[in-house]
Amino acid sequence: MSVIQINNLTKKYPSPDNPSEYFNAVDGVSLTIEAGEVYGLLGPNGAGKTTTLEMLEGLCDIDGGSAFVDQIDVQKNPYKVKQIIGVQLQANEYFDNLSLTELLKLFGGLYRRKVDPEALLAHVDLVEKARAKPESLSGGQKQRFSIACALVNDPKVLFLDEPTTGLDPRAKHNLWDLVRSLNETGMTIVMTTHNMEEAEILCNRIAIMDHGKLIAQGSPQELILKYAPEPPEKVLHGNLEGVFLALTGHGLRD
Amino acid sequence: MFTSVQIELAKALLKIFVRDRQSMFFSLLFPLMFMMVFGLMGGGDSDPFEIGVVNNATSEVAAEFVDSLSSNNLFSVSLGDEENLKAKLVEGEITAILVLPEEFQETLDGARMEGVQIRVLVDAAQVRLLGLIMPVLEQTLLSIERHFTNTKPMFNLTIEDVQARSQRYLDFLLPGILAFTLMQICIAGSGFNIVEYRRKGILKRLFVTPIEPKDFIAAIVIARLLLCLVQLSVLLAIAVLFLGVPIVGGYLSLYTVVVLGAVVFLCIGFFLGSLAKTQQAIGVIGNIVIFPQMFLSGIFFPIERMPEFVQPVASVLPLTYVASGLREIATNGLSLMEIVPDLIGIAVWMVIGFLLATRFFVWKEVAS
Repeated sequence: MSVIQINNLTKKYPSPDNPSEYFNAVDGVSLTIEAGEVYGLLGPNGAGKTTTLEMLEGLCDIDGGSAFVDQIDVQKNPYKVKQIIGVQLQANEYFDNLSLTELLKLFGGLYRRKVDPEALLAHVDLVEKARAKPESLSGGQKQRFSIACALVNDPKVLFLDEPTTGLDPRAKHNLWDLVRSLNETGMTIVMTTHNMEEAEILCNRIAIMDHGKLIAQGSPQELILKYAPEPPEKVLHGNLEGVFLALTGHGLRD
Repeated sequence: MFTSVQIELAKALLKIFVRDRQSMFFSLLFPLMFMMVFGLMGGGDSDPFEIGVVNNATSEVAAEFVDSLSSNNLFSVSLGDEENLKAKLVEGEITAILVLPEEFQETLDGARMEGVQIRVLVDAAQVRLLGLIMPVLEQTLLSIERHFTNTKPMFNLTIEDVQARSQRYLDFLLPGILAFTLMQICIAGSGFNIVEYRRKGILKRLFVTPIEPKDFIAAIVIARLLLCLVQLSVLLAIAVLFLGVPIVGGYLSLYTVVVLGAVVFLCIGFFLGSLAKTQQAIGVIGNIVIFPQMFLSGIFFPIERMPEFVQPVASVLPLTYVASGLREIATNGLSLMEIVPDLIGIAVWMVIGFLLATRFFVWKEVAS
């Protein structure tokens, strides 16, 4: 069963060179995400991954096309959609002067829910930091805490925007483990990344985006077999990078 | 009236604001310093000197002399006979006694009186005050003498009477300081905070939860309002209990104006917070709004003393209405019904502020 349907989704932004002109940051993207899968949006910076997510999350207006989350029209009922999704944004700063426990309670309150901060923190392995302030956390801990905040409403769909960017390898692997364990509970996870390895290891299916357009979609294995410059007999790890290069004609812009 | 979500968020914000010790401290430090300085400076010698006058003369001149003394705000004159007043002097109720002799009169032919002795009786314990009284007495005598002898003075000393007000300067200042503090706390509390939350991505994070922008605004207003009432109450309590500032009017009216003023300045703050994209920008824009009002809104001196050409502008500033409303209630004892012009001014600014805030507040596309 599909949990997200996007049809011809479009977002216009003023062109950075000439504010009177517009360009399509997201240009007619259509895709379907099945319940229970980990779906990756892969692409260089500026490809439109984050904007696509923000339209799904109700953060920015949809200029064309349609988006449904759990059969709810995002444009018509953005607040209903927000009730059932969890979001981790790229920026993960929080209010000063509140502890992790207090922040989790606050976020629960925003959904009119009583939350169990300890259980949530246990889920992301931060129990010993319950009384700490977010600014004292390391990068990996901050990301895990962001995910804990996104879980306060028991979401059907969890959106992760570049969850491992800037993390050291150990923190990255911890986060992958966390994503897997959440997915095992049946939660659908939609994530953006520009880390090939991450997409390949974590995602059931991937969409590759460039210049606002969706240019390929499928499981990592399918994509490798179909597009890799030298298709291997057997799919091994590490080939998606080649697929990406072949499709976009360039490496990841950073 | 408020939803559980708004109250939940307001509680969290209140916690955040109260735990921000630094800004709590500095928001009160400045007004407190002002109050202390003016409170200690003006303390004590505000009352007029009580002097007794024994008028042994029956002439018109003598009566005029006494009138002239009585109309001087430095003195509070009580007439009486010498024995009675002496008793009062010993008790310390009056500071000095002037005894006008019988011969205190204009001669029939208009010639000058000469060598009329006016005795000044003082208590040795209060002799230090003589230095203050004598010059004024001499000045009064001199002007009367000139009046009779029809001579024009060579020099004109204009003595500005700083005690012309029956109230102390602090009593005048306090409502202004309250209004100014209110403005500062509210503009900083909405404007500066919003810019910070937007920059940190906190606004964006909040708006992917099911709360609506109005919930967030309501929460900030509730939290800031409560905190503001506490902060102003602290200032007020210190002024009333320790500095003896009288609050003539009703506290309920006073707090009504405070709440209305807070809403005005919170709206203005939201507007400024939407205009400014960075912390530096809000600092500059905030000061552009705060500083002119600090000097033009009759906080430190009445607007009537300002140059003519700034008065029309000064008299319509939001802080002017709030400060004037508070002052009319606190020092002049008026009721809300009697300060309708100020309330209308505040209401107009509330509408303007609300329109600006809702028009410019970045509701939907939350800039990171």
